[in-house]
Amino acid sequence: MEVVAKAHMPGLVARVVVNEGDQVKAGQEVAVINCMKTELSVVAPSDGVVKSILVQEWDEMEVGSPMVVLEA
Amino acid sequence: MLKILNGGIEAIVEDWPGRLGYLGKGMAPAAAMDNVALEFANLLVGNPPGEAGIEIAGGYFEAELGVDTVLSITGTDMKPTLNNQPVPVWESFAVKKGDVLKFSHFAEFGFRSYIGVAGGIDVPLYLGSKSTCIFGSYGGFKGRKLQAEDVLPFGKPYQDLKSLPGRKLKKEVIPEYSRVWNLRAIPGPNTCPDYVTEEGMDFLFSHSFKIQHSSNRSAYRIDEVKGNFFAREDGGVGGSHPSNIVDHAYAMRGCLNVCGNTPIILIADGPTLGGYINVLSVINADLWKVGQGTPSRDFIKFTMSTQEEALQARIDQKALFTEKSLA
Repeated sequence: MEVVAKAHMPGLVARVVVNEGDQVKAGQEVAVINCMKTELSVVAPSDGVVKSILVQEWDEMEVGSPMVVLEA
Repeated sequence: MLKILNGGIEAIVEDWPGRLGYLGKGMAPAAAMDNVALEFANLLVGNPPGEAGIEIAGGYFEAELGVDTVLSITGTDMKPTLNNQPVPVWESFAVKKGDVLKFSHFAEFGFRSYIGVAGGIDVPLYLGSKSTCIFGSYGGFKGRKLQAEDVLPFGKPYQDLKSLPGRKLKKEVIPEYSRVWNLRAIPGPNTCPDYVTEEGMDFLFSHSFKIQHSSNRSAYRIDEVKGNFFAREDGGVGGSHPSNIVDHAYAMRGCLNVCGNTPIILIADGPTLGGYINVLSVINADLWKVGQGTPSRDFIKFTMSTQEEALQARIDQKALFTEKSLA
C-alpha cells in the first residue's frame, strides 16, 4: 500500500533526507521544509520503503503537497 | 495551569502592546502579531485589554488543562477540539482539569490563532511586559517557544468563572479575513523624490505582493521591487546599493524597510535600526493583518492613508475591546 509524506506547512523544500529504496520507520524524518526561517521536519506517516521522491530543493510547498511516496 | 503536550510550529506567550520604551536600547516591543484577535480573546474570558494569551502560528498545538477554567479561541480557525470534540472560535467555553485541547493547522484564511485564559498567563513581567521576544530569547515563558512538558501557570480570573462561558462577539465586530491583506500605510520617511521614484511609489501602492516563505515575527518579506524603483544610483556614503542609507532608527512596528530590492515589513520582534531606507509605515490599526498573513500563500496590498485616518482608526479599534462588542 502506498502512503505519502506530505507538507504540513507552506514553505520551500530545504532538503530531502532519504533516497529511493531506503527503509524508514513511522515518525522518521524524510524531508525538511523551510518556513518562517525555521526548518521543520516532514516525517514518514508509517513504516515503509521509499518508492519515489516527488520534490527537490527550493520547490514551493503548500499544506498537503505530496513530497515522498512510501510503500508501506 | 496548562501542560503542553505538543508546542506545534510556534506557540508563544504574548500580551499587548508589548515591551514599549526600549527601542533606543535595541529592544523590539514583541507582543501579539494579531492584537485584535488577542484582545477579543481577552474580552471573551473577562480579562482587561493587554493581558497575555497564547499565540499559535501555523498550528499543531496540543495541551492538557491542569485546572477548571474558561478559555476562548480567536484568530484563524485551526479546527480546535476539546477531548476530540469541536469547540467554537470567537466564543468562550468552560474547560475542566484533564481536558485535552488540540489544534489542527491554519485555515483557508489567516495564519495565527490565540488562546485567551480567564486570568491570563502568569509569567513574570520583564521590562513591563509578558511578551516573548523569541529572537532575543527573553520575556514570556523562559524567552522561548512552548514545547512538550512545559507547564504554563494561569493568573487569577478577573471575573467570576460562572459568568464567563458562552460569551460571544457580535458578528459585525469579528474581523474579516482574506488572502489579500489590504494595509493602510503612510508614505515615508524615505520616499519620493529623494529616495524612491514616483513610479516606484505608484508600484508600491498598486501591486499585490506575495508574502515570502521566510516571513516570521521579525519581518514579513514580500515580492521584490522593480529596477526603476530607486531614485538614486547608489546609497552614497551609506553604501553601494540605492536601498542603503547611513544607519538610522526604524519606525517600529510597521515600517516597510527596503533591503536591496526586497521590501520587508518590520514588526513585533524586528530590528530597531539599520542602514536601509523605510519607504512607508503601515498604520497601527492594520498591523494585525500582517500577523494573519500566511507565508508562501497570501498577498499584501498597500493603500495610501493619512495621519488623521491612522489616529482615528486606532481610536475606533480600541473602542471595540469593550463589553459593547459582546452579543
